[in-house]
Amino acid sequence: MIRSLPISGLAALAVVASASTGSAQAIDDGLMLPARQVRLGVEYGRDRWDRYWEGTLRRDNENIGTVTTRSTTVSAGYGLTSRVSLFATLPHVRTQASQGVLHGLRGWQDVTVAAKVRVLDGRVSSRARGSAMLLGAAAAPASDYTPDFLPLSIGLGARRATARGVVHLADRSGLFAEAAAGRTWRSTVHLDRPAYYTDGQLVLSDEVAMPDVADFATAVGFQRGRWCIPVMVVAQRTLGGSDIRRQDMPFVSNRMDFTRLQAKAMYTLPRLRAITVMAGAAHTLAGRNVGQGTTLSAGLTTAFRP
Amino acid sequence: VTPAVKSPARSRVTFRAPLAALLLAAGALGALPLASCDRTVTPTEVLPPLQPASLDAGAGSWRMLVLTGPEQVAVAVPAAVGSDAYRAELAALKTAQAQMTDARRRAVAYWGGGGVLRWNQALRELVARYNLPPAPRPDGSYPVPDAENPFADPNFPFASPPYAARAYSYVSVAQYEALKAAWYWKFRYNRPAPTRADAGVQTLLPASDLPAYPSEDAALAGVTAEMLKLLFPGAVEEITRKAAEQREAALLSGRATASDVAAGLALGRAVAALVIARARADGMGAAGGTSALWQGFADSVKARGEVAWASQEAPARPPMLPGFGRVQAWTMTPAQVLALEPGPPPSTGSALMKDELAQVKRAVDGLTREQLAIALKWNDGAGTYTPPGHWNDIAAEHVRDARLSEVRAARVFALLNVAMHDAAVGCWDSKFRYYNPRPAQLDPTIKTTIGLPNFPAYPSGHSTFSAAAAAVLGATFPQGAAEFRAMSDEAGVSRLYGGIHYPSDIAQGKAHGERIGAHVLQFARTDRVE
Repeated sequence: MIRSLPISGLAALAVVASASTGSAQAIDDGLMLPARQVRLGVEYGRDRWDRYWEGTLRRDNENIGTVTTRSTTVSAGYGLTSRVSLFATLPHVRTQASQGVLHGLRGWQDVTVAAKVRVLDGRVSSRARGSAMLLGAAAAPASDYTPDFLPLSIGLGARRATARGVVHLADRSGLFAEAAAGRTWRSTVHLDRPAYYTDGQLVLSDEVAMPDVADFATAVGFQRGRWCIPVMVVAQRTLGGSDIRRQDMPFVSNRMDFTRLQAKAMYTLPRLRAITVMAGAAHTLAGRNVGQGTTLSAGLTTAFRP
Repeated sequence: VTPAVKSPARSRVTFRAPLAALLLAAGALGALPLASCDRTVTPTEVLPPLQPASLDAGAGSWRMLVLTGPEQVAVAVPAAVGSDAYRAELAALKTAQAQMTDARRRAVAYWGGGGVLRWNQALRELVARYNLPPAPRPDGSYPVPDAENPFADPNFPFASPPYAARAYSYVSVAQYEALKAAWYWKFRYNRPAPTRADAGVQTLLPASDLPAYPSEDAALAGVTAEMLKLLFPGAVEEITRKAAEQREAALLSGRATASDVAAGLALGRAVAALVIARARADGMGAAGGTSALWQGFADSVKARGEVAWASQEAPARPPMLPGFGRVQAWTMTPAQVLALEPGPPPSTGSALMKDELAQVKRAVDGLTREQLAIALKWNDGAGTYTPPGHWNDIAAEHVRDARLSEVRAARVFALLNVAMHDAAVGCWDSKFRYYNPRPAQLDPTIKTTIGLPNFPAYPSGHSTFSAAAAAVLGATFPQGAAEFRAMSDEAGVSRLYGGIHYPSDIAQGKAHGERIGAHVLQFARTDRVE
């Protein structure tokens, strides 16, 4: 009875982050909210995969068929000043396998709070401006879900601290380019069982050490008028952890790596200028110990000054 | 990715240092609970240096299970303490102690926690490592692990619960036999430990009056390594290294000289050879069965008008060790195995079965977080040390806290694992007699919160193992008896919460396990242990 991974911790975070879009001012991009603006959002995402990487071996598994992860994420952003934006997100996640006997799970996943600070901003040529941002985020499970039922667990259960740097370049024409790199530190997680085997060792504890995670992103896009259309390549590299063994279950501290291509389109409605609608798609190009997911998402945000 | 912060001198850079600092501080504040939170694992089952509460000087006369008696393997008379040969050994020992490395010091401290407990931990690790079902071939068939080719895919063995129950029992019984024999010869020859014979020998582990010849550590290393090489041939290198490390630790700790170690090693290996002879003839080779065998089970069940078990895996996987019920038990004849077994399960067409099926569905769809935790706690599925391993885990902390001598610790694990092996034999015999379908087979809308075992439902293996284990442990550690019973009941009901067993599987498994436990205890009362 074998299964595999849903979206891993940071992949989930990326899905979460993309919720607070609107004109793209979100946790994972290089844009800021205007001062004193409040932005509330809700986004629905559906990720599906029927292939996964057991270590580096790409395979399917008739005992799970297609794993579907549906998430509904609520988000809030606030422009504390023009240079400081605050964010919070909380997804509700539901998992399901199309074949086999395993029960899906559902629940509130991890609450994330973040502060994005623009530390540099200036003209880099006659046509373009550049800015640099630092992001600090903290995340913790919002419910007592189990991380020990992968790939149908709704999350990995670790508390996390993330630091990320983002560089954003924008041309007068509306074209922009972005690069980001971050690192996430993770707490141990607790299982409901007194021992587990991973990385060649039986560990006589309910506590699992979680390797840190690095993430990289690069984006190009167009932002002008009512439109914002970014296309990103996002990569996660887990800095440790073991592979899923042959025909084994995935485990919470596995080395979960992926490279994903994602695109979004955001449009601010002409009549209701406070409302921005979003549609997005993402596909996992390569991975290790994760499902090869394809995600479709849609959401809307509303922005206002209280 | 280029570094984010590069100050372009030409551009009009705005950098509000105080504000950014404030915000970073706020961010750091948010991260503080994380930074200060736990990043390392706190291990349980830490083993302090073993200082046995009793020497158990009479253990040489305790009843043997496989050997005819302690003298079946002879141990030569050792050199006298005053002899030149022995003095040369002491001198060599002192030289070795003077050249200790940190790695060796760590090895001494590790084995000082108790050889029986350390090997039990190592065995649980091996079971977890090898407890993976073979992956299907592209044509949908399943390869069978091959003992002659243990490194191939699939690795040998697939340490499934019955395989593991038998492995735990063989290792524990062989250790118990070897240590009883070692005790016999120790008190017959009464050669003291080097630290008692020569004040110049350092005592790196708690000293005792236990005679040193033959070394109990070396006997354990010898007997365990041979048993493990039989059961886990792919791990031979690791096993051999570990056994050598234990022997070296016995020497360096000041507990044994080279001849104590050599005699213990030879004794351990000779005992292993006798136990292995039994293992080779116990019927395990035929436990995998044939497709004709399991088709026969299905046909006979269908002939009685019942729904026959069918694998719910895709592609359909042959049932787990269908012939394990015919493997030789430790304390029971085949007739006794049969006599203790439960009667048939409710008919698959009965109202009672319909009601039980509904109970499973209700349980699994309305599961509370606490119930899910119980299901996951006792899951002990693929990639774990299995339910018998879980009960060894439970026993280990009691053995440690009771500061049992090595031979008495071996007795606890031997009785526990004999009971669970016999439980596995009886349970598997029943399972394949009744060949009863799992809940998810009778009602495909039932989804499970743990992996669905690939063998018939009735009676529950967890319940049988756990009730037998709780009976033996409760008699051994009476102050824990109520706790063991509660654990056993929790292990049983965890299978209902998992959606993989009917209530009657659990109730009948428990009663069966209790009968087997009582039978093993009756057997244990004749073993001349005071």
